[in-house]
Amino acid sequence: MADSVLSQPNPGAWWNYFFLYDGSKVKEEEDRTRAGICYFYPSQTLLDQQELLCGQIAGVVRCMVEISGVPPRLIRLRKLKFAVRLDGEYLWVLGCAVELPDISCNHFLDHLIGLFQFYNGPVRQAYTAFSQEKLSKQWDQYIDHIQKNTSDLHRIFNSLWHLDKTKVDPLLLLKAALILQTCQRCRHVLAGCILYKGLIVSTQLPPPVAAKVLHQGAEPAEKSGHGSGDVLQEHDPPLPPGVCLLPVFLTEEESATLWDFPVEWMTSLPVSPASAKAAPRSQAFSDPTGIKETPASTSVREAAWDPPGAGVAVSIPDSASPNGFPEPPANAGDIHPGPLSSWSPEESSAAGDAAAASPGEQGTLPGDSGHSAAEHARDTDASSALMDSAAPRAQGREHQNVTVLGTTPEAERCLLHQCHMASSSFATGGTSKELSSSSWSQPHSQGTTSHGRLPRVGDGAPSNEPSLSDPAPSAEGSEQQLPAGDHGGSQGPGTVELYETVVEGASSPRSRATSSADPTGCPAKPAALVKMVLYVHSIKGLALVLLAEEQLEANTGAIEEVYRSSLASLNGLEVHLKETWPRDSAATKATYSFTHYDCVQNVLAGNLPPAAGAQDQHFLRATSLIHADFAQLPAASEMIVRNACTAVYACRSPVHETYFQQLGVPPRNSGAPNPHDSAFSLPGKAKQKLLKHGVNLL
Amino acid sequence: MRCVLVASAGAEVLFYWADDAFARSLRLRYGPGAAQAAAGPRGGPPSPAPAAEDSLNTLLAPVIISCAALLERLGDTYTCFAAEGGRHLYVLHMFGDCLYIAVNGDGAEGEDDLRRTLYVLRRLVEAHFGLVTLDSHLLRKELRPADSEQRSRVWALLRGLLQTYIRLRDEEQSFAVEAVERLIHPQLCEQCIEVLERQVVQHINSCVERGGTEVAHAFLLVHTKLLAFYSSRNASSVRPADLLALILIVQDLFPSHSGEEEPASQPATAGLTPPRPKSSESIPVQSLGAAETKAGEQEGNGDDLSTAEEFYTPQPSPGGCSSGSESWSESIELPSSAEADAADVQMAEDSLQALAPPMPDATNPRRIFLDTNLREGYCPMLPHTMHCLLLWPGICLVLLAKGPSTPVALTMSQLLDGLLVLEKKLREGPDVVPSPRSHPLLGDLRHRMDKFVKKLGGPGTQLQNAWLEFKSKAFSRHEPASSQELLQALGGVRHQLCSLYRQFFLNPLAAPGLPQGLLDRAQRLLQEKLLDWKDFLLVKSRRNITMVSYLEDFPGLVHFIYVDRAAGQMVAPSLGVAEKAASELGRGELPAFIKSKVWSLIALARRYLQKGYTTLVLRDGDYYCSYFLWFENELGYKLEVMEVPVLSDDSAPIGMLTGDYYRKLLRYYSKNQQAEAVKCYELLTLHLGVLPPDVVVQQAADLARRLWEPSRIPLL
Repeated sequence: MADSVLSQPNPGAWWNYFFLYDGSKVKEEEDRTRAGICYFYPSQTLLDQQELLCGQIAGVVRCMVEISGVPPRLIRLRKLKFAVRLDGEYLWVLGCAVELPDISCNHFLDHLIGLFQFYNGPVRQAYTAFSQEKLSKQWDQYIDHIQKNTSDLHRIFNSLWHLDKTKVDPLLLLKAALILQTCQRCRHVLAGCILYKGLIVSTQLPPPVAAKVLHQGAEPAEKSGHGSGDVLQEHDPPLPPGVCLLPVFLTEEESATLWDFPVEWMTSLPVSPASAKAAPRSQAFSDPTGIKETPASTSVREAAWDPPGAGVAVSIPDSASPNGFPEPPANAGDIHPGPLSSWSPEESSAAGDAAAASPGEQGTLPGDSGHSAAEHARDTDASSALMDSAAPRAQGREHQNVTVLGTTPEAERCLLHQCHMASSSFATGGTSKELSSSSWSQPHSQGTTSHGRLPRVGDGAPSNEPSLSDPAPSAEGSEQQLPAGDHGGSQGPGTVELYETVVEGASSPRSRATSSADPTGCPAKPAALVKMVLYVHSIKGLALVLLAEEQLEANTGAIEEVYRSSLASLNGLEVHLKETWPRDSAATKATYSFTHYDCVQNVLAGNLPPAAGAQDQHFLRATSLIHADFAQLPAASEMIVRNACTAVYACRSPVHETYFQQLGVPPRNSGAPNPHDSAFSLPGKAKQKLLKHGVNLL
Repeated sequence: MRCVLVASAGAEVLFYWADDAFARSLRLRYGPGAAQAAAGPRGGPPSPAPAAEDSLNTLLAPVIISCAALLERLGDTYTCFAAEGGRHLYVLHMFGDCLYIAVNGDGAEGEDDLRRTLYVLRRLVEAHFGLVTLDSHLLRKELRPADSEQRSRVWALLRGLLQTYIRLRDEEQSFAVEAVERLIHPQLCEQCIEVLERQVVQHINSCVERGGTEVAHAFLLVHTKLLAFYSSRNASSVRPADLLALILIVQDLFPSHSGEEEPASQPATAGLTPPRPKSSESIPVQSLGAAETKAGEQEGNGDDLSTAEEFYTPQPSPGGCSSGSESWSESIELPSSAEADAADVQMAEDSLQALAPPMPDATNPRRIFLDTNLREGYCPMLPHTMHCLLLWPGICLVLLAKGPSTPVALTMSQLLDGLLVLEKKLREGPDVVPSPRSHPLLGDLRHRMDKFVKKLGGPGTQLQNAWLEFKSKAFSRHEPASSQELLQALGGVRHQLCSLYRQFFLNPLAAPGLPQGLLDRAQRLLQEKLLDWKDFLLVKSRRNITMVSYLEDFPGLVHFIYVDRAAGQMVAPSLGVAEKAASELGRGELPAFIKSKVWSLIALARRYLQKGYTTLVLRDGDYYCSYFLWFENELGYKLEVMEVPVLSDDSAPIGMLTGDYYRKLLRYYSKNQQAEAVKCYELLTLHLGVLPPDVVVQQAADLARRLWEPSRIPLL
């Protein structure tokens, strides 16, 4: 692996050193510095030099801790800068060229450490469990991975490597999203991501986790390449072809974002009690438009959410009606009670599990679950709990929804919707009563489960759970829902959203309580890292990566289920992607450069050529400076900077940053203030030109 | 929590300053025994000083040593450490062999601020020690004299200057942008220049008593603003960067905290002082009153100061002035007590015992080294004697005199320059200087050095020996010495030369200065002339330019700063933040907010200029900020913008006090514009955000045009 790094035509001139130093091994006077060096990149560095850097930097870090009480995060030299992280006795240091912005240097180190911990667990544990050599190979891989895949812009923005959505048939993106949602419905699976040739096609993961998972896409079919040998290959019985399982470690935070809402996806599985409770909430999400649907219209409802041009219906097997806005259910009778009741035993037992944590659930029985739901909602605890739960939830969802949706107006709507929810989380108890019933959410449950219904988003998946999880499925429950449904229908989406929120809020405390109460929910709590399993299924350039609970590893049935439910569509997707790949970048010489960065999803769009010319270099330099200053100046919204050769315009909103440069030789000017200066017409030009790229600056 | 430290290559602390918080943390760290150390940081009684100094040394030694180790083995060294969120920040810079470190633990200063502090400290050290800074061994002797009393005096001086600088940088726009601000009053300015020329400079220079000393420059300051400046005919001009440094020194001697007094009214502390004499009365009493006013303002330390005065023994005047009267001693005492104040400004509650004993050193007059362009050639750091005469609190006359030894200084600096060039060449390797003997540079140097050594005679024995040793190595016919040996010998010569320089120009007895009688006369004269203007000037200095006069033509304009970088002067409406009375912007939060916006715009504009951007427009919340830098010829014709060099993050901060960036920029531009003189202007504006951007730019253009129109203030 190290060799392969070296053989690269110097991909990382900006990346000078990286090392991991274990200070605990160098305590005594006679201890040699080299004893503490766990890993050093580049490996061919003379040992003396390695010792010099490790020793000096470790010393200076200790000194600063002594004086200021905090370790430095960044140490700058004249020609180098070092990002530094101190974790107990371990010291990680990344040495970069001084031109690299500070924030990027810090980000790369964090990312590298994150990668290592994701795949190998806490550093101390990893270094006791595995040989240094093996882990060094891992480091080599990670470094290689980052260096190879980091373009000029990636050195400025912390962004994921995405498939250029403008160059792929939106249908394919949808299809990918669909596959993920299908998988999510399988037991233990929390969320996933589809990669093609190292680029994200579709993801349900929050960006920091997606960034780590991306490493899988970089080495397709290289399960063996995963040096640490902890690939769960020796699975018995053997795993399906092309599949491997990797143990991974998420930080508590990351896992919380996964646990927080994915619970709802797992409810379909009777064995997963933890997930059972969140259903109503997820329902709420799957129907953000506030459309009341009949079972038949489920898929259509999805369609209403999909990018307009995408023709969603195509991918939906049983799309019943082309009408995106079906009638609200006439009455509760429309709901399929059968399947619900058939699930209810499990569900009720699940509820029973959770009961300890959530008194409102006590006594939930198949027969009167509807009542209990209503009671629950009335429960003041629940309604007050919703306050704190709604906001994080909405945030987590944001990642998912938006990511899958891409950059269509829908995304904005979605965001808006979430904002709405966040703000409406303070809904009064009165509303929550109505909501509790969440009647309208029930309907699509059964109908959709079996066919890969097209839930718009990761959280759409829950559609099937409500039936099981929610205590409400009984007839009484549905009756109760009726008013709510009507109400919503008559008042339009806004009102419904409000309800949804409340529903969500009411349910979330339960799910939370469960996940913390249930030992299987968060297995690795004490270790600060949560252990999970990464299911990787590679088909040529395509990789399906799923994060699942640890139990998946032992559950051959579940693995089989995931495999079967995704194999065919994955193959299809791979073929399609290959056909449309690589689309010739028909060299339409643009008269401008731009970059559009989404800081919530960490997605970068733009028209910069891969090999930056002189003008592009100017653009990059200005961009990196302004990006750093935007981080410093929270109130700054627009900026124009100009030197002799070029002018760059930048603007930002809370979620986006856009940079624009007019190409071509600038007209001569003096630099003195002059209203006829072309630099000051940049904002107008940017607004006009970027519209066709889907960037709206107006 | 702030600290500034200068360490030698041997990790010895040559100078340090620490604020209360830092001193406290040191004390805590080093136990109860360090209670004494508390007084140390403020240059108090010498005995406790070493404790704080030693603990600082212990703390920072690993960094200092690591710096040297990296430099030796990697050819690179630290410039900055930053902790999470930028709250804890260390900036390091090597000047010669000395490592300067600035530490901030409260997040109040950015990296640029800290680096600026280090560069200004370096500049102040140069201004006070001249070419001795070229020899780290001798500089060590100056910065850290073996005698602890002397050391605390030197440290107190530098600490005071450093604190004054930090205060001015935070309060005064002129120090924030590093340019001289003039008091805009053409008529008065003209009159003052005339008085300075006819009745001060010419009068003094025509007197016999002045000895060999000659007044080269005279100027009047009202607070930090320049009222009038006159240079004698055969003197070279003072660089604006030096002028700004001189203003800093004067502010340190006679601090005028902005807003501490409403100048129009009697000082609040008048009750503590003897009844204010009518201005026509004799000056000494007047200045005594001023001194006590100051003292009274310093948190009632007046008693201490007056007792301090009793210990004071005037330095025997080398100038042989016989007027050893009360009045003289007081007028000299005045600066030193103010000096002590300045050093103690931030000292806290327990400053009573920490108060430094009066410093019988030559702070006024003091030896200052300034770059000059003599007829005989450019002379860096030519020794001058600086006399500061306080006319009234806030108004000061400064006389800069050259001693009779100017030609010697010139020769020495030229020799040192030659030595340095040669040393550099030798260091680059033997290939560059294949045969030192035949090198033209060496021939010239040999000739001049021989002449100089011969002329020196007695005092130059050691230099002569060193020089002979070098010559024997360099010009030996038998075996040419290695460049290593040559370097060593050359180092010896340089050391001896610096040592002689020190002996000539840093010896307190060697600063003759002007006879007191002449100074008294000048002071009295100006007091008479300006008596009627005094109150006006003090008010005017606070409200130099008002925004009101611009509002009609520039609706929506909130603030602006216009800087002529060729002249090193700036124009800006006063912000009046610290004033007790309401300013134009009202009082309290709004002016403070506008000020913070202006300061952050200055910092931002500098950062972009450092990276080569000469135009910056920023919408920041409800404000629209803009910055422009451009070049013109002398007729006001705008020249085409040029590629401004892109500098690294750790390059010298952009400014005048710190490395003179703009002078280099002008030189850089002039390379392509050799036909004509080039001028460089900067304009910063702050507009209301509701204005459309094109209006903002239009206004900036109009503003630049209006400000360019000759203000009718006589030029410097």
